[in-house]
Amino acid sequence: MEKHPNRINHSPIFIFLALTALVFINIQVFLDRLDFYVIGVLSVVAINIILVVSLNLINGITGQLSIGHAGFMAIGAYTTALFSIHLGTPIFFNLIVSALAAGFVGFLIGLPTLRLRGDYLAIATLGFGEIIRVILQNLRLTGGAAGLGGIEWVDSFFLTQFVAIAVVIITWRIGGSAPGRAMVAIREDETAAETVGINTTKFKVMAFALGSSGAGIAGSLFAHRMTYISPDGFTFMKSIEVLVMLVLGGLGSITGAIFSSTLLTLLPEFLRVIDEWRMIIYPALLVIVMIFRSQGLFGTMELDFGQVKHLIEKIIPKKPVGEPDIPQPKSEVKLSFSGGDIEEKDPILETKELSISFGGLKAVRDFDIQISRGALHGLIGPNGAGKTTIFNMLTGVHCPNKGDIIFNGERVNGKSPNSLARAGIARTFQNIRLFKDLTVLDNVKVAFHLQAEYGLGTAIAHPPSFGKAENRITREAKELLKVFNLIDHSMTIAKNLPYGAQRRLEIVRALAVSPKLLLLDEPAAGMNTLETLKLMELIRWVREEFNLTILLIEHDMSLVMKLCQTISVLDYGIKIFEGTPEEVRNDPRVIEAYLGEEVS
Amino acid sequence: MLPVIGFIIFAIFVASIWILFKNKKRISSNPLGRFFFGLILVLLTIGAVNYFLVGINANRLYFWQQTIYGVSLGSVYALIALGYTMVYGIIRLINFAHGEIYMIGAYAGFFAVTSLGLHFFLALIFAMLTSALAGVLVERIAYKPLRKAPRLAVLITAIGMSLLLQNAGQKAFGSIPRSFPRQFTGLYRIGELNIDQSRAIIFVVTFLLMVILQYFVTYTKPGKAMRAVSQERDAAQLVGVNVDRTIALTFFVGSLLAGAAGILVAIVFPQIRPTMGLMPGLKAFVAAVIGGIGIIPGAVLGGLIIGVSENLVTAYISSSWRDAIAFGLLILILLLKPSGILGRNLKEKV
Repeated sequence: MEKHPNRINHSPIFIFLALTALVFINIQVFLDRLDFYVIGVLSVVAINIILVVSLNLINGITGQLSIGHAGFMAIGAYTTALFSIHLGTPIFFNLIVSALAAGFVGFLIGLPTLRLRGDYLAIATLGFGEIIRVILQNLRLTGGAAGLGGIEWVDSFFLTQFVAIAVVIITWRIGGSAPGRAMVAIREDETAAETVGINTTKFKVMAFALGSSGAGIAGSLFAHRMTYISPDGFTFMKSIEVLVMLVLGGLGSITGAIFSSTLLTLLPEFLRVIDEWRMIIYPALLVIVMIFRSQGLFGTMELDFGQVKHLIEKIIPKKPVGEPDIPQPKSEVKLSFSGGDIEEKDPILETKELSISFGGLKAVRDFDIQISRGALHGLIGPNGAGKTTIFNMLTGVHCPNKGDIIFNGERVNGKSPNSLARAGIARTFQNIRLFKDLTVLDNVKVAFHLQAEYGLGTAIAHPPSFGKAENRITREAKELLKVFNLIDHSMTIAKNLPYGAQRRLEIVRALAVSPKLLLLDEPAAGMNTLETLKLMELIRWVREEFNLTILLIEHDMSLVMKLCQTISVLDYGIKIFEGTPEEVRNDPRVIEAYLGEEVS
Repeated sequence: MLPVIGFIIFAIFVASIWILFKNKKRISSNPLGRFFFGLILVLLTIGAVNYFLVGINANRLYFWQQTIYGVSLGSVYALIALGYTMVYGIIRLINFAHGEIYMIGAYAGFFAVTSLGLHFFLALIFAMLTSALAGVLVERIAYKPLRKAPRLAVLITAIGMSLLLQNAGQKAFGSIPRSFPRQFTGLYRIGELNIDQSRAIIFVVTFLLMVILQYFVTYTKPGKAMRAVSQERDAAQLVGVNVDRTIALTFFVGSLLAGAAGILVAIVFPQIRPTMGLMPGLKAFVAAVIGGIGIIPGAVLGGLIIGVSENLVTAYISSSWRDAIAFGLLILILLLKPSGILGRNLKEKV
């Protein structure tokens, strides 16, 4: 089996070493051989792991830059403190309540702010983190600047460790599921994620709320360990500390998050010898790491538990128990979707007076088109005629100023790209927008998102149905790749593919959405004659095999003329002609648009 | 009750600015026009707030006194915010270490006045140059090697530099605050209002520096190079702009202003300490975002808004809510108009 490129080599050795260390520490603690202080430090390691791994879900996996994590930790800590002091509830209860409280606040804050991108989101989260702190400082309920004391003392190393492991496993499982892939897709390219049917807002808020509830759990454990908390423990510097741990380990790597939070918690303990300089060495180290290895120690690399499983199976051969593998028919492609009933009479897509303007520029004016089911329709026109703008309106990227889009008998203008993808419109992009840093296979699996018939709960609980659903997705993704002759590259990182293959992969990704209407934006751009010919065959085949309707923008006239049944010609945002290839070739207006006015 | 009222006032305030800007496209097409328009709005709002607050605390004089204090504090924020906004404009980096450059300016000024016995205005120049040097050094050491790195990496580096300078400051200057010698103790009277000489100086110096900066960026060759690089770095390089030198120059100019802010703030709030840069740094960045990041008049407007709001919150609500107001304003503006008051919405090209 081919190795996923972000899996660490010799993983079994590292996993073995880590487990040994863990077991060793547990035995030591169990036999009471460590002094109180050391156990305390170990508990802090576990709490920091929870913080960093949960922040990784937001910053690393989903790619949203949050720098206010301490605020959510504070909410967890204060929730626990209030419950413990006033009601005397046990720690298990407090953990759950704190997680819910922090998650809920994360949800409330995430809903409006996650519209912001990059630095702006960072600043907004920073602002919220600070506001949470100021509010805690001013409320009588939370004891103001003096904080709250008298929380029940629970410094159970075993419990903290157990919770940390649980958080890691949950995050790990989310990462390997359809919701997790949706989050990674958002990190890679938000627009492309929308067009494969991912509701980006939903998943961003989900990641944010989950990450926040992780911080809440950490806060709860922290409160029970310290028995006294004050707003000073949850300043901007605390958020930064967590962020630093995450970035040092590598954004997006759970392995890295665990490693660096352990390292950066323990390192200062050893550096205490030269305590005086600790606060200078620590940030200096950070700067140096960033300059020389900006992706962090691990990048997006993860330990490979598959290898361990493989190794175990090698040593102890697995007995064939239970259901045997059903042999797949090799010759024919079997995919579980189709573009729908081609016999229906009404057009699949209709636009009426579709218009949009940007500032003063009327990019598209009164564009009418009717595309019947199963058609292969071409859209041509000189550069800047508004072809891609029409695609953007059809896929919900732009909202038209005027006019209607009727898809499958339903008016769809103003809908979000993801709901249009759900309804059955898939597209490719003129300037390829793959999930560049994912493997070819993962690119396709992301697009199978809509067909993953399970939710977040299933992904975390891992029942047998989860495995079946995942296997089906992988199998279908691979079959699609086989058809498009990309199967040998399935473990290649998408950006390393040759240009033509990237274009093909984009078509595969669009097909994985199981569309009824496929919009291809210059699929042959940058291809040589032979590749174009092959592509033509492929487009024809795809249409017949999946009962699709295809609308195609292309500059390669030979391709359009040979492939399409009907062609619409666009110039300066207005449709100037529509007809068969033969008619288009001979129409004076079309010739004028392309070659300029005849000199007389 | 009061915090709630305060918050509602500011919500109305920002919302009104936003709505007006949405409808006044002509004014908003010209940055300077927008600046003055914004300023008028701010004044109107201050008036409205005044009217509102007088019902609670019937002392009109007190209100204007606090507003004047707010303007001088706001000028300091504006000076720091200018550096943020210029650096962000040119390399899209939130230079977290900028607050520490400001701290360095305060200490340089302190030693210039005490150890070297310089006159205040000479000390001002000394502080500005020291800060500028520090800013350029930070750029050269920490940011230049990361020019092609992911933006998050540079951001983390900036946070690292900030911590490093802060802690190095603790080592070098000690964590005990130093007291800047009193400089200007005069008092001007306009009608019934008192204006301290020190606050007046802050305002005048800030104003002069901003005029010079605006001239520099708009009309001089290096200024034009700066704007060119901030719009399209590769194209600027192609037409012969030395990009590295221009970026260094941006840090130089931005840090000059931060250094000035450092010493100016010390004549009103004489306590200087190594951690003094953190909060003003963050708030100045917030000011830059509120005004519209990358836009010079925006930074000034944002600085003034935050300065005045903070002083009014301190005066009418409680000083412990002071830190929340800047961030509250920030979130409000980000939700209503993420590109800032003077900024324009940019759509991603698909």
